[in-house]
Amino acid sequence: MTKHSSDRLSRRALVAGAAGTVALAAEPASAQRCPAVPPSRAKGPLVWLDMDQHELDESYDQSVYAFNQQHITDRRSERNEVVLKLLGKPDRVAYGAAEIEKVDIYKTRRANAPVMIYVHGGAWRNGRSAQNAYLAEPFVKAGAHFINVEFNNVGETDGDIGVMVEQCRRAVAWVYRNAASFGGDPNALYLSGHSSGGHLAGCVVITEWEKQGLPRDLLKGALLGSGMYDLKPARLSARSRYVKFTDAMEEALSAQRHLDRIHTPLVLVHGTLETPDFQRQTRDFDSALRAAGKPVTLIVAKGHNHFELGESLGNPYGVMGRAAFEMMKLTTVV
Amino acid sequence: MAADNPGSHPLTRRALVAGAAAGTLAFGAEPASAQRCPAVPPARTKGPLVWLEMDQQDIDEAYDNDVYAFNAKSINDRRVYNNQIVRDILDKPQRVAYGPSEIEKLDIYKTRRANAPVLVFIHGGSWRGGRADQFTVYSEPYVKAGANFVVLDFNNVGETNGDITPMVEQCRRAVAWVYRNAASFGANPNELYLISRSSGSHLSSCVLITEWEKQGLPRDIVKGAVLGSGMYDLKPVRLSKRSGFVKFTDAMEQELSAMRHIDRINAPLVVAHGTLETPEFQRQARDFAKALEAAGKPVKLVVARGYNHYEVGETIGHPYAVLGRAAFEMMKLDRA
Repeated sequence: MTKHSSDRLSRRALVAGAAGTVALAAEPASAQRCPAVPPSRAKGPLVWLDMDQHELDESYDQSVYAFNQQHITDRRSERNEVVLKLLGKPDRVAYGAAEIEKVDIYKTRRANAPVMIYVHGGAWRNGRSAQNAYLAEPFVKAGAHFINVEFNNVGETDGDIGVMVEQCRRAVAWVYRNAASFGGDPNALYLSGHSSGGHLAGCVVITEWEKQGLPRDLLKGALLGSGMYDLKPARLSARSRYVKFTDAMEEALSAQRHLDRIHTPLVLVHGTLETPDFQRQTRDFDSALRAAGKPVTLIVAKGHNHFELGESLGNPYGVMGRAAFEMMKLTTVV
Repeated sequence: MAADNPGSHPLTRRALVAGAAAGTLAFGAEPASAQRCPAVPPARTKGPLVWLEMDQQDIDEAYDNDVYAFNAKSINDRRVYNNQIVRDILDKPQRVAYGPSEIEKLDIYKTRRANAPVLVFIHGGSWRGGRADQFTVYSEPYVKAGANFVVLDFNNVGETNGDITPMVEQCRRAVAWVYRNAASFGANPNELYLISRSSGSHLSSCVLITEWEKQGLPRDIVKGAVLGSGMYDLKPVRLSKRSGFVKFTDAMEQELSAMRHIDRINAPLVVAHGTLETPEFQRQARDFAKALEAAGKPVKLVVARGYNHYEVGETIGHPYAVLGRAAFEMMKLDRA
């Protein structure tokens, strides 16, 4: 899940090291050269489906399957700057007692407007709400409020994802209860998430809201991109080095095992260039939802890798942005 | 090199599995592996310089965008995928002839707004690929935001005996046709704009240096242009392996290098390139913007961080990113 380290070995760096007789053209653009087939190796014992440990670890490491991760991060940073200048700073409001427990509200001008809540990804261990400011612009312009949820990373919770799920749940309940305070319509509340944020959003969707006196269908729709809906294979992967999985956590936070608690129409998306197990997670969750008679739409986005798919939420004409606009019935027509 | 339909990466892991011995080798799964492992090119001895600090291989690679964007095929796949989505949503375009030959037609995607601005798109493809119906995908944001979107068809250089000039002439005639006939499809001829990428931006720049007054048209029929990832001086291109399919001549090089005819430009320009483009495509945009500025022409240079050649082009269909954002601003369109 780390940034692609080989990007750092630029041709320029090589020039510096060589005596000038070696020809090395120029720009860091060379970081995008040459797709490679991994070296062949002897396969070990299977640990999950047809995968050995190495394959499963790679399947839960997006950077292995998306060479341009850093580039996508770069362009997101640049766009965040542009968007913050255009929209101004969001309202940052506490939904809980801890310092981190805040939501960033990007307000639209429309009164009593629908609300999109976004749960960021980052393999549970990276990401801050401000890094996703860029996603707000299309929604705000189209007449919806956009809310980025801030919550702890797993490095701050002693390896426990349960804490993060509870934060996201409390944030969503806060938005429902306080929507009117910022001009939002509590009855038009939608959720989205990407990657590990897709996992967390999946857990929000299985919340038993009725136990806290809230309507079961508090969320009118959820858009889950590139997520994980059963933690078993994630637990078997290298991710268990920084997430302290337990049997109870695996059971409670695998949305696919609690389909009966889902009262929200779902849109599930994955890209065709994602890792094998990320593709499978979405596919299997979709099949399970269908089998249980739950309303679900599956979108398989051709030619998108993990990060490119997440980026598309910020484009009303891209895969996830289009799905969100349709779900919320936002119009792009002037 | 074929920018629109780049060469595939045939050696997939799946293919290797098929070829390998009975299951003892581990090869994960999906064609996603095509996106693995960016690599530094092998060191080699540099030959004599042919252009700036480049030897022949350097310049050949600098005019071969696939070398610097190994996800070219994936981006093309995604354009095809999104193109179909948009074709299913929008009404079929009105296809109208702007000239006598079969190819000389343009596709008009109409907006509902009356007397609306019109954006003319000139496609890329290294001059040798691309057809209008592949670019429906870019039309939707504009049509929905209240602008007409027109996609030009014109010959590829493989059909013109290696001559780019007829392609430039076709684009010029098409733009003049749009100006003269805008009212016929509800557009305002006084709000005519251009957008393009790659070799399309070379062609656009040649449209921009047209001496319209010689055919009785106002010099400023084009009110603005967004040029992504283009070429504005043909000399280095001529020195590259692109001369293998373009029959460059001294006259063509001189006539069709917009950089050398800056005095004839009468429209404000946005010139854009990505930071992950080839060194030459970055330099072409930079130098053109500099020359325009030095000549006192209104120009804005957009350097898109983290975008390669094809990713810059993709943003034509994205009102909130590089080229799309620039076009919306240029045309003063409201977004979404």
